[in-house]
Amino acid sequence: MPTDIRNFFGGKVSTPIREKETKKEDDPKKKRSKSRKIIDDSDDDEPAVKKSTPKKTAPKKPMKDSPKGEETTTADYFASSSKPKPPKSTPTKSKTQPAVELQNRSSTRKKPTTSYAEHPDNDDDAFLDDDEDAGDDIFAADFRTGGKRKEDGYIEINSDEETLPKPKKTTSKSKLASSKKNADVEMKDVYADQSFVADDDAMSLDNPVKGPSKTGKKRKSVDLDSDDEADDFKPPVKSAKQPPAKKARPPAKKENVPESTGIQAILDSIPTVRPPTPPPKDSDAKFDWRKAQGGGGNAGPPPSAGSKEIPVGEENCLAGLTFVFTGLLESISREEGQELVKRYGGKVTGAPSSKTSYVVLGSDAGPSKLRKISEMKIKTINEDGLFELIKRLPANGGDGKAAEKSMEKKKAEEEKIRKEAEEMEREERRKANEAEKAAKEAQRQAALKGHSAPAPTRQVPSTSQLWTTKYAPTMMNQICGNKGQVEKIQNWLKNWHKSRKYNFQKRGPDGSGGYRAIIIHGPPGIGKTTAAHLAAKLSGFDILESNASDTRSKKLVESGLNEVLDNNSLLGYFSGAGKAVDQSKKKIVLIMDEVDGMSAGDRGGVGALAKVCKKTDIPMILICNERRLPKMKPFDHVAFEIPFKRPTTEQVRSRIATICLREGLKLPVNVIDALIEGSNKDIRQIINMISTAKLDQDAMDYDQGKAMSKAWEKHVVLKPWDICQKLLGGGMFAPSSKSTLNDKIELYFNDHEMSYLMIQENYLKTKPILANGAGSAREQSLKALRLADQAAESISDGDLVDRMIHGSQQQWSLMPTHAVFSTVRPASFVSGQMVGGTSFTQWLGNNSKMGKLTRYVKEIQSHMRLRSSGDRHEIRQQYLPALWSQLIRRLEVEGKSCVEEVIDLMDSYFLTRDDFDYIMELGLGPQDQEGVNLETQTKASFTRAYNARSHPLPFMKASNVVAPAHVAKAVPDLEEAFEEEDEELVVSEPKEGDDDDVDLAKDKYIKQPKAKKAAAGKKAGPKKKASKGAEEDDDDDEDPEEDAKPKKGKAKAKGKGKK
Amino acid sequence: MALLVDKHRPRSLDQLSYHKDLSERLRSLAQSGDFPHLLVYGPSGAGKKTRIVATLKELYGPGVEKIKIDSRVFQTTSNRKLEFNIVASVYHLEITPSDVGNYDRVVVQDLLKEVAQTQQVDQSAKQRFKVVVINEADHLTRDAQAALRRTMEKYSPNLRLILLANSTANIIAPIRSRTLLVRVAAPTEDEICDVLARSGKKEGWPLAKELNMRIAKESGRNLRRALLMYEAVHAQNEKVTDSTPIPPPDWEALISQIAKEIMEEHSPARILQVRAKLYDLLTHCIPPTTILKTLTFKLIPMIDDALKADVIKWAAFYEHRIRMGTKVIFHLEAFVAKFMRILEEYLMSMDF
Repeated sequence: MPTDIRNFFGGKVSTPIREKETKKEDDPKKKRSKSRKIIDDSDDDEPAVKKSTPKKTAPKKPMKDSPKGEETTTADYFASSSKPKPPKSTPTKSKTQPAVELQNRSSTRKKPTTSYAEHPDNDDDAFLDDDEDAGDDIFAADFRTGGKRKEDGYIEINSDEETLPKPKKTTSKSKLASSKKNADVEMKDVYADQSFVADDDAMSLDNPVKGPSKTGKKRKSVDLDSDDEADDFKPPVKSAKQPPAKKARPPAKKENVPESTGIQAILDSIPTVRPPTPPPKDSDAKFDWRKAQGGGGNAGPPPSAGSKEIPVGEENCLAGLTFVFTGLLESISREEGQELVKRYGGKVTGAPSSKTSYVVLGSDAGPSKLRKISEMKIKTINEDGLFELIKRLPANGGDGKAAEKSMEKKKAEEEKIRKEAEEMEREERRKANEAEKAAKEAQRQAALKGHSAPAPTRQVPSTSQLWTTKYAPTMMNQICGNKGQVEKIQNWLKNWHKSRKYNFQKRGPDGSGGYRAIIIHGPPGIGKTTAAHLAAKLSGFDILESNASDTRSKKLVESGLNEVLDNNSLLGYFSGAGKAVDQSKKKIVLIMDEVDGMSAGDRGGVGALAKVCKKTDIPMILICNERRLPKMKPFDHVAFEIPFKRPTTEQVRSRIATICLREGLKLPVNVIDALIEGSNKDIRQIINMISTAKLDQDAMDYDQGKAMSKAWEKHVVLKPWDICQKLLGGGMFAPSSKSTLNDKIELYFNDHEMSYLMIQENYLKTKPILANGAGSAREQSLKALRLADQAAESISDGDLVDRMIHGSQQQWSLMPTHAVFSTVRPASFVSGQMVGGTSFTQWLGNNSKMGKLTRYVKEIQSHMRLRSSGDRHEIRQQYLPALWSQLIRRLEVEGKSCVEEVIDLMDSYFLTRDDFDYIMELGLGPQDQEGVNLETQTKASFTRAYNARSHPLPFMKASNVVAPAHVAKAVPDLEEAFEEEDEELVVSEPKEGDDDDVDLAKDKYIKQPKAKKAAAGKKAGPKKKASKGAEEDDDDDEDPEEDAKPKKGKAKAKGKGKK
Repeated sequence: MALLVDKHRPRSLDQLSYHKDLSERLRSLAQSGDFPHLLVYGPSGAGKKTRIVATLKELYGPGVEKIKIDSRVFQTTSNRKLEFNIVASVYHLEITPSDVGNYDRVVVQDLLKEVAQTQQVDQSAKQRFKVVVINEADHLTRDAQAALRRTMEKYSPNLRLILLANSTANIIAPIRSRTLLVRVAAPTEDEICDVLARSGKKEGWPLAKELNMRIAKESGRNLRRALLMYEAVHAQNEKVTDSTPIPPPDWEALISQIAKEIMEEHSPARILQVRAKLYDLLTHCIPPTTILKTLTFKLIPMIDDALKADVIKWAAFYEHRIRMGTKVIFHLEAFVAKFMRILEEYLMSMDF
């Protein structure tokens, strides 16, 4: 494959091209017949089309089908034809239409693409356009799917060229464009062209991309035969390339001036790396989500990080080149590499495609990527090659073809932005004029009527407005992203009154017809409120807004809204002086902003609002950030949900660029991208940022942009898991890492109560980088052990600090010290690759379990205390094992026959039935509870026997006084027990009455109005001998009240026992 | 029927079978009429409590054996209610202030003062003072001990204290100087054998000398433990001979297992497995120091002599840490890691 790419740039090696040309002739046929929906017939005259009529559709096919061949011709073409393009680049409908017509044999699929692509651009007829095409089924369908896909977060759209998992990494437009450029020339010009047209609409990329993804798979068959030839001429090429690698450098650097050959030389001289053959595909290999979660096997920090110096190159030198990173690089992490490429204007995509200029290959590359590389024959380099490229390529990519393309594209884009800005200005002027006119008119009329003119309203000069207000979208097409959603809102509003006629029974095509209210939710700063307002305005509704600044308690929502709900807006009947009455304005829409901001002050507000939503007579739009909160639950099934997603970089970029232009701020594309990504696509924040930047500077470079977005970074409190992952697995401790000690300590403070516990839980689950590089496996494992030991020691140190903080000393100023000892330092030893997932700390669970079991032991000990002299630990360590074998083991082995004896033994130690269970639970190791297998029958008969008998009770616990049944029954038995063991022990007279404090007395007597009964009980009590009789008597005595208040009976019984 | 250890517990100073001279001294103290404050210390299972109970009987007569458990509720300064159990007879109180953890000062202040300020009402009582037995005195916090010292002097006409402790190390010097220190040493193995034989005879069990000897050894000269083991052996085996195996207590069995695992493999993954078991032990109320000590002594016989000193050193180091810190598992784990590292380094150096 390298040969192919080489040919792109130089077009000098003649033989391969020829071969390819011939090959190409039949290639497309094969492919198309197999995979394309595109109609074949354009096939034959394709070259011709390309040369003569540089139309959109024609080149698109080659791009998809054959990334190779025809380079030279297109290049020529491009040189000649694309230059004039930018002037023409305001693509209007009239311009594209002919193209479509000319290409009328091309598939219908194509048509939607073009028309859609331009749709956003031609603001005025955007909607018209829509309507026009509505007749066309395919278009409609396509349109819809396009919209849907967008909702899906856009990733899918780039599926072929870009499959980075994180949305924020979705390619920025300029990168996209530039990637096209050098990936293959042909595709590039047209494609780039096209994206000019559709500039702020990512959907335009949709269709073209979809094609390749399909062909990518289908292509295999073709590649089978092309592989042979690739093998054939690989060796010579390699030998040709490698020798000049180092020597050719100095001359190449000077040769900036000449045309693309100079660049070609540089590109040629970059040493390529032969990619390892991908492992055979294992069809039944399971997807290891754990591994994938950790970023695949090679997401770790680079093994010899920091060993190489990162070169400094000319500005924008990688312009137009597209890179794919795979595998574990040697000295820089993947992020750093990607950062590097972006800094120099290159583009980074996630997966290799035909447009990829280089794959930067590390060790342990993904097999699927390798397969693709070999399939597509993409040039592969290692990181040295990348450095070399940066070092040697001239600024702006010099005059390399790729760079030129990107330059042109940039120009076109600029042009477009300028136009937009102009438009904006025009609009502004028009508005100002109108206002002026209206004011004059009003004055004139007022004068005419003879009374003094109302003072003209003070016009706020636009310079003093916040940029966010100044540049708030005024038209549908100015909204960045979420177009489908905004349209949904509009549709819903438009049809609202119609749906109402059907009593909201007709759900409509998108299901929104069944709701009286909608709820928009999404992260802040992406235009939810703006979209709602705009949609309402455009649909001719008068807006009534309520947000968190209003109190919205249940009462106020009910009373306040009820007045509104069945009213019309006055605007439908009256208007300001000199203005026509707009009948449609009498419709009201209620916008409830920041619904999730209803807080404690708004008690019941959410519920009331949800209720209102069910019966409202005006449309209601609710807006919130977090739909999933439990407190938002009442809105389930009440309001139609419209989720807003963060817009993509492309969607935001042109808008920001336009604003920048209007304000005279110079921001290169990569800076804008950095801002967008840095702010996590919060449009409001970006605008605020550039407005701040404008105050003291007119331009910003990449690093400034990065720094700014970092400074503005919203502080996100990390979850314990993320903290742990970052510290242990994130390469924070790699030598190349730029994070300071403070950064790491900061991580601890994200959750200072959990972070160190999480580190302690997980520090043994890593493969430390520091252990790498040792000799034998055993040495390595020793090293790992050493590191684990050091980490454990540090954690142990940290605990001592913890004691000083949380102990009696309360030295809270030691927190940073604790952070270092307990979290940062251990992580510094063992950080590396996390093996398996991050697990939650077990300490908390175990601690509470320990608390519980300690309570059990205390309970048992307090029961046994009269008999045994041991303290708590002695009881646990010596008695319990013995008791276990005497009680539980015996029951297990001997079964029912020993029940009586077991109970005797328990009684002799005053153990209760509960204690029996406790002992069981306290078993450990060989006596583990899990291992105990008491027969249900034995257990049942044991329980029955135990309940049937009376048991001595050593004492009355203050807290047990309230426990029902237990005491009521047991107390009479006490007498018996007392008698039996009289000589030895005075067992457990509950003496609360005598020496117990007020508390118990309260418990007992306060709720006892019937002193008589108690007295009777007292008299009767001591005389009772048989426990049975006592019990019965008791019951007889106290049945009525026991039913009513079980406590009383017990209390009385106690009273009896006592005297 | 109770377990042997309680069933055959001696009830008077005469019945005590070892430390005869100590028993004599206690008896003369009790009879002298000028009974001092006592600080009785010695390892657990040596017979401290038994001796004290016997001494009390000597002081007050059999009435002291009529004991009951009271429950008292105390209120701390922060209005927390503490429930506290007191074992009491007419003549004495027995308290375990460490039951309430850090609030033991409240108990000591309130309860002792209350007891000390009331004189003996019973005219027939042999002594005018009451005795308060404080269990686990070495677990008293500093505050509680400080609260004790003045009480001991001020109220001595009404109150005598008997402090029970495992060692005097944790008891502040002012208290030590105010008490008569009585050391109850652990019984020798022969003495244990003697006790076991006597108990066995009372139960009618055949004598197995060798077995008794082994039990005495195994028990670590803890008589309570020896008796319980003795009973366990007899309970689990129909016929007991000299060679009958002695079942270890559950936690000890688990610790042996941990020791075995540590010896088998030295790797972070193994530390993780050991951690789970350590957690198990801790949650089941085995004190961390016991774990560390037992583990160390299980490991020691399995390693080379050259390493033993080092291992002991680190065990001591981490035992200290356990006392100093709060989250004991950290220190136990650090010890395991340290041990593995030392061992592995040693083995590596042997190989090369």
